Amino acid sequence: MSPELVSQLSVGGSTLVLLAGLAMLWRRGVRAHIGAFTAQSVALAATTAMVGWFTGDWQLWAVAALLLLIKGVGIPILLERMARRFGTERELEPYVNTATSLLVGGLLVLLAYLVTARLVSVSQLPTRTGMPLAMGLVFVSLFVIISRKKALTQVLGFLMLENAVALLAVLGTHGIPIIVEIGVFLDVALGFIVMQVFVYQIHETFESIDVEQLNRLRE
Amino acid sequence: MSPWLLGPVQAALALLLAPGLVGAIRWMKARLQNRSGAPPWQPYLELRKLFAKEVVVSNNASWLFRAAPFIVFGSTVAVTLLVPLLAVPLPFDGAGDLLVVVYLLLLGTFFLALAGLDPGSPFGGMGASREMTVAALAEPTMALAIFALAWSAGSTNLGHIAARVLATPTEALAPGHVLAFAAIFVVTLAETGRLPVDNPATHLELTMIHEAMVLEYSGRYLALIEWAAALKLLVFFTLLGNLFAPWGIAAALTPGALLWAVLTLALKLLALGGVVALVETHIAKLRLFRVPELLSASFILALLAVTASFLLR
Repeated sequence: MSPELVSQLSVGGSTLVLLAGLAMLWRRGVRAHIGAFTAQSVALAATTAMVGWFTGDWQLWAVAALLLLIKGVGIPILLERMARRFGTERELEPYVNTATSLLVGGLLVLLAYLVTARLVSVSQLPTRTGMPLAMGLVFVSLFVIISRKKALTQVLGFLMLENAVALLAVLGTHGIPIIVEIGVFLDVALGFIVMQVFVYQIHETFESIDVEQLNRLRE
Repeated sequence: MSPWLLGPVQAALALLLAPGLVGAIRWMKARLQNRSGAPPWQPYLELRKLFAKEVVVSNNASWLFRAAPFIVFGSTVAVTLLVPLLAVPLPFDGAGDLLVVVYLLLLGTFFLALAGLDPGSPFGGMGASREMTVAALAEPTMALAIFALAWSAGSTNLGHIAARVLATPTEALAPGHVLAFAAIFVVTLAETGRLPVDNPATHLELTMIHEAMVLEYSGRYLALIEWAAALKLLVFFTLLGNLFAPWGIAAALTPGALLWAVLTLALKLLALGGVVALVETHIAKLRLFRVPELLSASFILALLAVTASFLLR
């Protein structure tokens, strides 16, 4: 593959990953959010595999397969189960309304350009072109976490943040050693399980996963 | 053929094809919904009927109400001279670029909104205010998407953009182009009053936008407005078809190439019309207050298109 094609594909792949993140801000339903996360993980796995193909590094292929398996299939199944348990509670009144959140999302992407401009200019890799978008997703997922009320949406925001960091690592350094990658996966899985337990507990206590309720003291 | 003749020829062709396009979309939609539907040439018959009818104008209406249909029609016909319908480079390329095209179309929208307000009927004012809301929200998206295209082609000239994609076919699949296509597609739905923004098939709902503005019109004025609306749809489809996938467009003015260009144009229009019919069958109209959400989503698409073009410069 020629470097131009690689840089085009990495922009394309990171754009898809970022778009899935922005879809979280646009859509309201829990199912749509889970779908967006699944699509994002698949796009991330595809981008990783593309970089693996370009560099000829088997470790990246392994990471892509793990991504697809854990984040593309495993976690969405668990999320679906959680969604079924809590019914389809929709994100009806987020702290920031949908149209404004989308505009804020756009501004955050522009901010990411400013922040990563220097990083991109020192890098020589053809995949560097996608880095601002990955950084944009970091900001967008943080924004999802602080602007949404449902615990499930916030968990999804965290998972997307993790995807964003993985994308940044793949594009900026062509991947980190697989042993570190496996450690990260374990961390994510563990973090997800802890958060799942938390969400179940919140639901048990308040009969809702709206974190607004946590402001009130209860006996 | 003289290149200067191409302008009038393609304008005439667009005028001829536009009602057929609207009819074809209606027919495809009807077939998708298991109705037999009116034949695709129905809009031609409607236009003939309307041109023969007398015009009724409200006593409260000013000259603006009478002038608006001609301004709307005239500006839309002027646009067809500037859009790469059949061949590149266009003889009128020097006269206007993509920005002129967009703002000529907006000029028509503006006068239509004024004419909606003019007779003082409540429906007209409501429609005009909604149309302006939608236009104001669709405007930045369109401008940004154009910017994305212009950036990668190095020119806002429509002929240059199409020629550039023709010369480097991989350009058509560049992320900036794909995103700009998606953004302009949403804008097309909004600006031409299709679902999910406006329902083109209704004259009754309180939610109507375009139909509410033209409710006071009758006879040949209505015919001109409907024709202009069909033409606007055709222009947007041509932009989508010939800027993003310009294959088939004639590079030399020989009869064979032009004939092939007409054929591919018709195919592209039908394909896009099929997509619109499918979309309109599949989804329901959005509540008016959720339209800004859809348009800000398309704005984000356009913004990402610009950034992608910028990154790959």
